[in-house]
Amino acid sequence: MGAISSFSDLDRYREKISSSTIEDIPRVLICFGTGCQANGSVKVAEEFERIIKDKGLKIGVDVGLKSTGCHGYCENGPLVAIKPKDILYLRVKPKDVAEIVEKSIEGDDVVERLLYKDVNTKEVIEKYQSIPFYKHQQRIALRNIGEIDPTSIDDYILRGGYSALVKALQMEPGEVVSEIEKSGLRGRGGGGFPAGRKWSSCRNTDGDVRYVICNGDEGDPGAFMDRSTMEGDPHSIIEGMIIGAYAIGSNHGYIYVRDEYPLAIKNLQTAIDSAREMGFLGRNILGTDFDFDIKISRGGGAFVCGESSALMRSIEGKVGEPRAKYIRSVEKGLYDKPTVLNNVETWANVPVIIKNGAEWYSQFGTENSKGTKVFSLVGKVNNTGLVEVPMGITIRELVYDIGGGIPKGKKFKAVQTGGPSGGCIPESLIDLQIDFDSLTEAGSMMGSGGIIVMDEDTCMVDVAKYFISFLVEESCGKCTPCREGLRRMLEILTDITEGRGKEGDIELLEELCDVLKWGALCGLGTSAANPVLTTIRYFRDEYEAHIRDKKCPAGVCQALITYRIDPEKCTGCMVCARKCPQQCISGEKRMPHTIDTERCIRCGICKEVCPFDAVIVE
Amino acid sequence: MEKIKFIIDGKEVEAVKDQNVLEVAQENGIYIPNLCSNPEVKSSGGSCRVCLVEAHQNGRMRLVTSCNYPVREGLEVKTETPLVKRIRKGILELMLARVPDAEVVVELARENGIEEPRFKKDEGDNYRYKCIACGLCVQVCEEVVGVSAIAMLNRSYEKKPGTPYMKPSEVCIGCGACAYACPTGAISIKDQGDTRKIWGKEFKMHTCSVCGKPYIPEAQIDWIVETTGKDRSFFDKCPDCR
Repeated sequence: MGAISSFSDLDRYREKISSSTIEDIPRVLICFGTGCQANGSVKVAEEFERIIKDKGLKIGVDVGLKSTGCHGYCENGPLVAIKPKDILYLRVKPKDVAEIVEKSIEGDDVVERLLYKDVNTKEVIEKYQSIPFYKHQQRIALRNIGEIDPTSIDDYILRGGYSALVKALQMEPGEVVSEIEKSGLRGRGGGGFPAGRKWSSCRNTDGDVRYVICNGDEGDPGAFMDRSTMEGDPHSIIEGMIIGAYAIGSNHGYIYVRDEYPLAIKNLQTAIDSAREMGFLGRNILGTDFDFDIKISRGGGAFVCGESSALMRSIEGKVGEPRAKYIRSVEKGLYDKPTVLNNVETWANVPVIIKNGAEWYSQFGTENSKGTKVFSLVGKVNNTGLVEVPMGITIRELVYDIGGGIPKGKKFKAVQTGGPSGGCIPESLIDLQIDFDSLTEAGSMMGSGGIIVMDEDTCMVDVAKYFISFLVEESCGKCTPCREGLRRMLEILTDITEGRGKEGDIELLEELCDVLKWGALCGLGTSAANPVLTTIRYFRDEYEAHIRDKKCPAGVCQALITYRIDPEKCTGCMVCARKCPQQCISGEKRMPHTIDTERCIRCGICKEVCPFDAVIVE
Repeated sequence: MEKIKFIIDGKEVEAVKDQNVLEVAQENGIYIPNLCSNPEVKSSGGSCRVCLVEAHQNGRMRLVTSCNYPVREGLEVKTETPLVKRIRKGILELMLARVPDAEVVVELARENGIEEPRFKKDEGDNYRYKCIACGLCVQVCEEVVGVSAIAMLNRSYEKKPGTPYMKPSEVCIGCGACAYACPTGAISIKDQGDTRKIWGKEFKMHTCSVCGKPYIPEAQIDWIVETTGKDRSFFDKCPDCR
């Protein structure tokens, strides 16, 4: 038994640690998410530490320095927040630190150049909450990320952590299950299966041993929702799992994390260890007769291991391949025992639901998709990063209100949702509500929450080819439709984008999609056709242009485009000629240049470097 | 044993709990093409997808592989609907392009109306063999023989069975069960004189004391003696002369 051995102990402990923290002293929160660390946040933190120490000796400013998880606004990292004033500084460099300390900690001023500046309105915004990127968000699953030091269990407890567990342990396990059922929480990993119903089936299956599993094998390109939660708020996942285990009667839990997420593994392990020390894990949790512990299982990074049955095989030490789910995991899962598997975000929602009640939670979202969803908003959009919004928000709100629109005034073309086996949704559906059912109806899916924004310069055939080639790489190869079907689709798509497309290719692709959708073994295989199906459904004319006219309307497919220089616009500045790797641009100084299309490799460098927009792609 | 009644192609059939649909269909003289499953190998099946059928239950229909779909009360199975035929044909066309040399696949494809696939047939060293990557050989080696000398290597379309690093296996006993079970005859096993060659390894064969025929690898005898405690003298004679 750990330090906290009864329900009332937790309140006493919280009181004790809160009296030793003074709320209104300035605090510097530096994002230590992977993105910000890559941008140098560790150096920034060191500089803060140094300056604060130096000055602290002289003037005695008391500053608590915390390294937090991801704030979500990764594009503008390293992010530094000053509390309690709630000032957010972007792209902070070590050389800026002295000025920040002087103006915003010692003084009452801001460093204006480091504040958020709206790309469209040019307005400078000081407060965290007023920045459009944050203003429209509703942070439930991400409630603590960026606010706490993920390696400190005290930080989590101070924000009310583990009080949901105390509440749950005083309820009957069946009551906990029905609370989750009533909340309408659906699995956030892709399938959207009602979490409460899963728990209830598992609880009602006979068995001596039951398991709970957290799926942290986030493998979609461009997705980092779960990574941020594991790195930035590991205790919310752990608390959720303990509650789930209590509800279904399990004593063993696993968190499956891919090995490419070293920081997530480190922070989770730290959190598990401190939860055990405190008495939230282990034997006789909080003085009850409930035992539960969690192990981390590290995956090798195969995309297919995010599929629940393959994931379980992988934990067992076998090859990560899916199996037929004719008998469900809630009956025969890990080691053939009844198992509840939910993903990171689902687990992170559980404590809040128990704490605030199902009714509170179900006020967010739509009729059949309750609560919020975390999305990683990436691609051709001004504000990229991690956002949490109520279900039912429209694509337009997400892209324009939160994402700040498309960079460089380009035209919005489509969003790709749901990861590699999701689909592309066109501009005509920009007012579509984002929820499980609407996305499925539009031919795409919620998936784990990747949103890739595409502008007019995106070729949809090329996009389909990109995702199919990802899936060819990642198909486990166990069943014929996925193993053979995907590579044939890739062959056809490659032919189309390289000018060898022929009549009948679109129909053959559709036939292959049909075989995959009906014939493949696992969920990854059956949904793998979505990128092709949706691009054919919404952008058939682009396919036809590639096949019939041998043209790529978006100017992407290298075999189908030519570059030329507009003599009206060209000033003969020679920049393109100097940068051309083929040395195939010629012309006199201050005279219009020309491109030798025979030698041109269509790399696009000339277009990129031309200061006068004189390079035309046709 | 708990009895279960359900319907296949309009005919009511009786089965025992834990049986799969394919088994029951075969018992009742209903033909469902199949390649990768073997009733002796519990974990087999579900990968070639040739035995797909429509499973109707509780107002819901889905395509399932009959070789590992458990029988259920109230289930209705349809084995020859337009959907089943369409998807099976698609799968066989993909398979034929992959293993144009595998006679059983060529035959099945022809039965389903495919003479030539619309995809470029695989050829060359990598694909000359007839493997459909179903994994039955690996399952037999692990589950029936208990040796696990081979495993499925790589993934996606490069998936294939093999020994670790494709080097002669240290644990293989040369029994040939993998080759025997393989539905497409893809595994090369060669007996010449008193030597057997399989998976790149040579095995000395034990000779029958009566007819003088080499009939079992010495390594296999060692394995059986070691795991079952059977007397070595049992292997003096081959099964025909015992």
